[in-house]
Amino acid sequence: MSIAEIIALLAFTAATVFGCAGIAGLFLKKDAYSRVQFGALTSTTSVLSLFIGLIFLSPSVGFIARIAVIIAFFLISSPTASYIVTRLLWQSDSSG
Amino acid sequence: MTQTLLIWAQYLLLFFAVASAVKILIGPTGADRLIALMILSSVTLGFLVLTAVEKERLIYLDVALVYDIFGFLGLLAIARFLPRSLMRSQEKDTGKPVRRKNEHS
Repeated sequence: MSIAEIIALLAFTAATVFGCAGIAGLFLKKDAYSRVQFGALTSTTSVLSLFIGLIFLSPSVGFIARIAVIIAFFLISSPTASYIVTRLLWQSDSSG
Repeated sequence: MTQTLLIWAQYLLLFFAVASAVKILIGPTGADRLIALMILSSVTLGFLVLTAVEKERLIYLDVALVYDIFGFLGLLAIARFLPRSLMRSQEKDTGKPVRRKNEHS
């Protein structure tokens, strides 16, 4: 087992923990804002951990560069989407 | 070992996709469905990148980037038109008009 595979294994484990916690919170939490929080945990942190693991398993530099571009855009778009959903929830006053 | 890791990640993403699809179906509010849709969009993006690395095909990464951009734009469009339907359902439940919190009287 190489160093890259060990780092990928750690990143995938983090993705599993974050993702399962987020899905569990999405179904179990009563408050709507908490559900948004846990949904953002799955959609942002879990997928980002997966991308970091995939960088270490990439076969060439071209893959790493493209995945880095995807991560850069994902780091902007995903938290913004979570913010939009939260603002929508606040404005429509449907948190109960 | 690399193949084992990639297959593990595929099953993980499949589980997240199924769970968020169930949440889209059961709701109960529009905001819940929007959150689940956001998760499903991110999981699909992750699956595309995973497939690109597994099959060693660069084209999947370009598809993933375009999918991410259009997924974000789609979410913006849904969020633009969802508040009306949310308020309408609230008005139906409570019987009185719902006003936005930042609106002045």
